[in-house]
Amino acid sequence: MISPRMRYVAAASALLIGLTLSSVASPQSPGGTHVADLKRGAVIAAQGTAAGAPGCAQCHAFNGAADGTGAFPRIAGQSSDYLAAQLRDFASNVRANAVMSPIAKALAPDDVADVAAYYAALDPPFLPLSKPDPALVKAGEQLAKVGSEARGIQACDNCHGPGGAGEPPAIPYLAGQYAPYIAFEVRMWQRGYRKNSPDMMADVAKLLNDQEIAALAAYYQQVRGAAEIAASR
Amino acid sequence: MAQRLKPVDAVTIGVGLTGSLAAHELTQAGLKVVGLERGAARFTVPDFQSPAIHDELRFSIRKGMMQDNTKVAVTFRNNSSETALPIRRWASFLPGQGLGGSFVHWNGQSFRAQVADFIYRTHLIERYGKKFLDACGPELTVQDWGVAYDELEPHYDRFEYLIGVSGKAGNIKGAIQPGGNPFEAPRSREYPNPPMKETYFGAIFRKAVDDLGYHPYPQPSSNLSRPYINPLGLKLNACVFCGFCERYACEHFAKGSPQTAILPVLLKNPNYELRTNCEVLRINLDSSGKKATGVTYVDGAGREFEQPAEVVFVTAFPLNNVRTLLLSGVGKPYDPNTGEGTVGRNYTYQTTGGPTVFMDASINVNPFMSSGAPGTMIDDFGGDNFDHSNLGFIGGQYVGSIMTGGRPIEFHPTPPGTPAWGLEWKRAVARHYNHAILVQQHGTSAPSRLNYLDLDPTYKDARGQPLLRMTFDFPENDVRMSQYIAHKVVEIGRAMGGKIVTRGGIKRPYTTTVYQSTHNCGGAVMGDDPKTSVVNRYQQCWDVPNVFSLGGSSFPQNITYNYSVTIGALTLWSLDAIKKQYLKSPGPMVQA
Amino acid sequence: MADISRRTIIKATGAVGATMLPFASASDEVSAQPRQEQSHVPGPSAAPADTGGNPQQSTYLFFNAEEAAFIEAAVARLIPKDEDWGGAMEAGVPNYIDKQLAGAWGAGERLYRSGPWQPGTPSQGYQLPFTPAELYRTALHAINQQLAATPFVQMPPDRQDGYLKGLEAGGKDLGGVPSDVFFAHLWENTIEGFFSDPVYGGNRNMVSWRMIGFPGAYASYYDLVDRHGIKLERAPMSLAEDVHGHIQMNPGIPATSP
Repeated sequence: MISPRMRYVAAASALLIGLTLSSVASPQSPGGTHVADLKRGAVIAAQGTAAGAPGCAQCHAFNGAADGTGAFPRIAGQSSDYLAAQLRDFASNVRANAVMSPIAKALAPDDVADVAAYYAALDPPFLPLSKPDPALVKAGEQLAKVGSEARGIQACDNCHGPGGAGEPPAIPYLAGQYAPYIAFEVRMWQRGYRKNSPDMMADVAKLLNDQEIAALAAYYQQVRGAAEIAASR
Repeated sequence: MAQRLKPVDAVTIGVGLTGSLAAHELTQAGLKVVGLERGAARFTVPDFQSPAIHDELRFSIRKGMMQDNTKVAVTFRNNSSETALPIRRWASFLPGQGLGGSFVHWNGQSFRAQVADFIYRTHLIERYGKKFLDACGPELTVQDWGVAYDELEPHYDRFEYLIGVSGKAGNIKGAIQPGGNPFEAPRSREYPNPPMKETYFGAIFRKAVDDLGYHPYPQPSSNLSRPYINPLGLKLNACVFCGFCERYACEHFAKGSPQTAILPVLLKNPNYELRTNCEVLRINLDSSGKKATGVTYVDGAGREFEQPAEVVFVTAFPLNNVRTLLLSGVGKPYDPNTGEGTVGRNYTYQTTGGPTVFMDASINVNPFMSSGAPGTMIDDFGGDNFDHSNLGFIGGQYVGSIMTGGRPIEFHPTPPGTPAWGLEWKRAVARHYNHAILVQQHGTSAPSRLNYLDLDPTYKDARGQPLLRMTFDFPENDVRMSQYIAHKVVEIGRAMGGKIVTRGGIKRPYTTTVYQSTHNCGGAVMGDDPKTSVVNRYQQCWDVPNVFSLGGSSFPQNITYNYSVTIGALTLWSLDAIKKQYLKSPGPMVQA
Repeated sequence: MADISRRTIIKATGAVGATMLPFASASDEVSAQPRQEQSHVPGPSAAPADTGGNPQQSTYLFFNAEEAAFIEAAVARLIPKDEDWGGAMEAGVPNYIDKQLAGAWGAGERLYRSGPWQPGTPSQGYQLPFTPAELYRTALHAINQQLAATPFVQMPPDRQDGYLKGLEAGGKDLGGVPSDVFFAHLWENTIEGFFSDPVYGGNRNMVSWRMIGFPGAYASYYDLVDRHGIKLERAPMSLAEDVHGHIQMNPGIPATSP
């Protein structure tokens, strides 16, 4: 049986995101369209909300690059649609996380839209991190770009985009994401704590062994754009 | 000189759907089997990975997965009074090549035939009378198959569960199920997987046909709706709606194919040996002409080999099956002038086409978010599901909003009256690309004594062997049938909210220059009577009992639906009988 | 400044010739989420952004100067530019056609090339002995001879359109190539060059894909297919690009089969 689905409306501009819950199959249903306010999103990121949500910056940094520990994901430049969906999933516990769930519950829908839009528009530098094991990176690149016939794993980039740059709005970037965080999320799918992609990510995650997870994480963390490579020469 | 190899129990000519399925059944039963595949080996990783596979120019336009016309083609003419000329570039139909055959780049549209389809002649005469049938066309050669739906049902079930078909049953053991196709032939149980998510163009169609009183159902799909482990322990994944299905291979292990559903097991079986880049030139017969001794083939380097075998399976796609039989002297070639002979007789195709429904600019259709077997359809005009008494034709079509992608070289619709090129054309493309829905009509192809296959007297392949010659035009019956349905479909297009609705329906003459379908059928048809069939109900050649010809070539006429699942069921049915009967006592399995 | 943008520049070569400039800025430092930016709505800045560099910079491997002049002028009429979107010239269609004719397809890849030769019926399709390269060369030679007095490039646009329509209607013989057969090839190749992946040398800056809203070669819509009517805003993606702007073949990673 197909479960009831929420229907969304995305308007013409990336800065204009309206969320409409509708039980009627009307893709252009009007009403309740909120125009995302980046300035307000910045304030929420810095200070939190009156309702008690702490500022995102405490963990994710004001510029969205988080810190170097990898405990918190880089969210700068992530698809706003994806960020907002994660916050909703944290709130509903479809994505179970002891830290994020109470925070997400304290955010109103407008807060979610604003803060997601704020972080989506950022592009801070990457933190300097220690060089990973080249063999691990190479193994990760093989899986990311080509996959494995013997293991029945298709290339991650099929969905996650060129070099893991993401396929917005729904599929997040992996390029430049912290390796410990990538590994952690794969395990969250494997163990059923993250339930917001049961037929896709949970299924693929269960195919991966520890070495493959480490390789993919190491590879994606160090993926950079051409500009940085040119600058580093 | 051909090098003679060590004998094996069985050899398959081609390793596509029927070749891999037959080899699996036989090797499981302990036979030593060699699979000879003309094309190259290829696998999901690395050969089918995206983004490289999502190359419309290479695969859709240049036909990257198809037989190479520099090596082999087909000659064509509309009727016997013309000279057949080579199809120098594929267009109307696209015979595939490579390990896995066409079952790698098919769309995954997964239907069963109807009960009446297998006794089509008997059924039509019973319902409408012989006079009615003759009036539809004195040249029509409608036949029964020699096998009944009930006999095939367990094999349909088995095949569907092998490849993980995703759908909603409409008829379980006679009980009509809500949400499925009420016209469906009865099945013993539900599909192995639930239906695919409904696309927008499917939902718009559903609402329109609901309002008109038709019976919409989700198209059954072998691009899977969820992860699935098949009975062989092989895992298939959920389809991501990438919109690059027909003519492409699947990067996600999500399309039912030999690569995903059979080969990983078959290739590990020590009873099986796969030889790729090996083209079979002919089946070898003994001096009596009634027993095959094996096949002669050429490898990639041009070396000739003789592979002796106890049983030969012709599993090379319908057109190549018929050509192989003709080149080998198996059976008597059909002569349209005398009506004698059977090999090449009853060649049929598929009757397709449909309108384009141009929608308001506010409707973002997003055709690129699609799969190979998406959307929603109705069977109200399929087969003999409606009363033909006063209509003057037999046959029917399914109707569906089932577009498989929005790849722009192939798809950039403009309304009638738009200039063919220039600024207005460009603006019309920009206006309509994301706001147009294709509705498909897809149905039966009536057999005619005028339509047949034989060997061309003039043109040859790269090995110097005659090309297959195809003589075919749409019977007038099928033109009438499709035009009648086209009229109804325009009504559906308007009910969908179409601002402009074009009109489908076929016209004569059939042209090879526009893609229609790769469901070439017949030429080695099955039946009860050796005078009108090449193979018996087990797809065993009447004339050479140790040769089996498996595939769409066995169809006496084509059904409403895409034929892959029926071919899979027929293959399993044949192999079941071969294991139970033939292997224990080789020889004719049916007394004529 | 680091970025994970694919708005990288692939060096224009004779073979690839695909350049992808950022829309708004000329620098490499583009927002990390370029796909979020609205790519569908054209604007006054669209024209300079859409040209993706000077089309004349393509190095022709097949066309000589006279042939190239005709082709460039002809495709500019077949798909003209307008105030919203570049046309065939801006998209690099002449470069695409040139590289196709210079390559395997032009030489007759996948074409059954044995005689005997007969004109055939319309249902029997193409029955000429010419490979695409031979067909173009033969037809263009005839055209340029026939138009020697007033070359196509010197005609005003209306006359050019009229001339092309005349070719399209058939009835003219171009050195053995029926004019409608030549026109059909030219139009089909123009469509291909306009809409194919930029890796083939046309569809520069993915202008056609942005015009119609086709997202390109990276295509994973499981989460979006049931969001009926959604307007997809991300910039299209070529199969040629990855984060480093390289085509997906890394010499350090051999593709392995079982």
